[in-house]
Amino acid sequence: MWLIFKKEFKELLRDKKTIIFMIGLPLLFFPLIFGAVIFFMSNAADKAENEILKYAIVGEAFAPEMAAQFSAQPDKFERVDIDNSIDYKALIKSETVDFVLVVPEGFNSEVLTSGQHTLNLYLNDAGLNRVVGRVSEIVDVYIDEFQSTAFAQLGLNEDQQAALLAPIVLEKQNVADDREVWGERIGGMLPYIIFILCLQGAMAPAADLGAGEKERGTLETLLISPMDRYKLVLGKFFTISCAGLITALITVSSMAMWGIVLSQGMAIEFVVEIMSMIGIIDFVLIFLMLIPVVAIFAAVLLSLSIYARSFKEAQSYMGSLIMVVIFPVIIALMPGVELKGGWVWVPLTNVALAMKELFKGTMDYFALFGIFTSTAVIAGALIAFCVHWFNKEKVLFR
Amino acid sequence: MIEISGLAKRFAVENPKKLSEQEKKDPRLKGRFFNSVRDVSFSCGKGEVLGLLGPNGAGKTTTLRILSTALKPDSGSVSIEGEDVLANPLIARKKIGFLSSSTGLYGRLSGRENIAYFGELHGIDKKVIAERIDEMADLLDMHSFLDRRAENFSSGMKQKTSIARAVIHEPALVVLDEPTTGLDIMATGTVMEFIQRLKNKGTPVIFSTHHLDEVQLLCDRVTVINQGKTVFNDTLSNFGALSDGQMHQSFLKTLSMDTGDADNVVNL
Repeated sequence: MWLIFKKEFKELLRDKKTIIFMIGLPLLFFPLIFGAVIFFMSNAADKAENEILKYAIVGEAFAPEMAAQFSAQPDKFERVDIDNSIDYKALIKSETVDFVLVVPEGFNSEVLTSGQHTLNLYLNDAGLNRVVGRVSEIVDVYIDEFQSTAFAQLGLNEDQQAALLAPIVLEKQNVADDREVWGERIGGMLPYIIFILCLQGAMAPAADLGAGEKERGTLETLLISPMDRYKLVLGKFFTISCAGLITALITVSSMAMWGIVLSQGMAIEFVVEIMSMIGIIDFVLIFLMLIPVVAIFAAVLLSLSIYARSFKEAQSYMGSLIMVVIFPVIIALMPGVELKGGWVWVPLTNVALAMKELFKGTMDYFALFGIFTSTAVIAGALIAFCVHWFNKEKVLFR
Repeated sequence: MIEISGLAKRFAVENPKKLSEQEKKDPRLKGRFFNSVRDVSFSCGKGEVLGLLGPNGAGKTTTLRILSTALKPDSGSVSIEGEDVLANPLIARKKIGFLSSSTGLYGRLSGRENIAYFGELHGIDKKVIAERIDEMADLLDMHSFLDRRAENFSSGMKQKTSIARAVIHEPALVVLDEPTTGLDIMATGTVMEFIQRLKNKGTPVIFSTHHLDEVQLLCDRVTVINQGKTVFNDTLSNFGALSDGQMHQSFLKTLSMDTGDADNVVNL
């Protein structure tokens, strides 16, 4: 059996395609994509923050000071003179201006007598922009000024001012620790990513080890070698499982590594903090839970692969398997689905939920035994089926 | 000594509607089953080469697959040197070397690794394997490409490697299923020499073929299968004698022999 495993693995490692999928893709390609996305996002944000906005103010006469503030910052704002009767929408659409600020008549600091003022800001808010934020920077000064003028007129002290601004404050006191909060957010996604990666990593070798042998004409020779059929199956099975596990491990660790490298400064502390909150034992348990899951994948993939007449056929069968796997994991992602009652017995979903609980640190460790055992039993049954499948002439000589 | 008697094997027909008109006319189709091999018997003594002839779809490959233990027959018996193949397939597999024209190699392994892998599957010591590979590399002139990856081999190199792989465990019987089909003249020559060498060594060889010249050149015995039944099983000279040494005529004559079916349609 180990002879077969050794040979299959050697062959696997010599396959450029598999290596690219198993190691190259997660190690270089994913971080590259992430890096590019982050780069372009921050670029766009920078641009929105720093570009010079073309503006027009209607009713400038009512707020000459504010208008002066805008024109005092030529590196941020550029004034465009417009005809008041023109439709603002058309102006913004034609990109003559980026925004139009309309100051109402009677705009002054005497808010106690005049009442609330409404400034209208016309802009195209569909794309990424910082127009509102940047205009607010200037307007906010006047809000504070008007407020303090009014408070001074009423003769209120600071406590009264605060009480008037917010008579009741509802303050949230979260009893969940950081780990639980982030565990709920990240822990739900984690099994989703890991499952798919395991499956993806196991797929290419599975297609090669089953249907590939049929296609190349090496299967018959292998079948008539004096090796028990179950050893053949197990050798292939372990190769596929290993490939799946390795892919998942490499991907997750490369994500963690690149995450730390890319997110400098503050973010490092955050990542380190999250990691340090989760004990080694929990990580080991997450990994252990993964083993029977990968075994299930490997057994199903190998069965599909050996049934298929060709590489192509095998790949189309496996493609649909991804959908089958995604479904129970999506269920685990849904709010309200917890590791309780019936969900403990739903294969894959229970493992996904357990991984989340482990990540959150709220795991009931006794439930783990049940989940691990039931998943292992399913995996064992599938391997047995795989061996049975390998003994069927109808499957081998289709 | 290899003895095969009364072999029968049927396959379930998954969708009878999909069969062609010609297949539906075949007397071997019974309900949802296709009796690919119905009654095949022959024997091959030490040092003898047996040629298995028959039209396409006659049941040659099925017979050889049963012989090589890849398929299990529904009835009949196969014995090699007194060993019951059907009862002890694992022991029998050690005694058989099998090769067909469609047999492939693992492309990402070198020629040497391909051969050694099968040697190890047969449980042979690594040292012995290395010695035998060297021996065969001398014999088949394989040294120039033995350590290169098999995916870049020419058909001749592939066939040489396959031959070495098939006999690495020094089998008591070599079974070849159309070993020359699809090969060029050089590679065919290699296979022919290989069979001749086995014959000289006293290893029995059973091979199926469509080339009567190969039969004439190498075979001691001829077995003709038609529609899953043995219609001729005798020595080469008796085969030739059916029509004054004209192999082609002899072959056609055996096909017209009774297979026990009323409508014996032969499609060549």
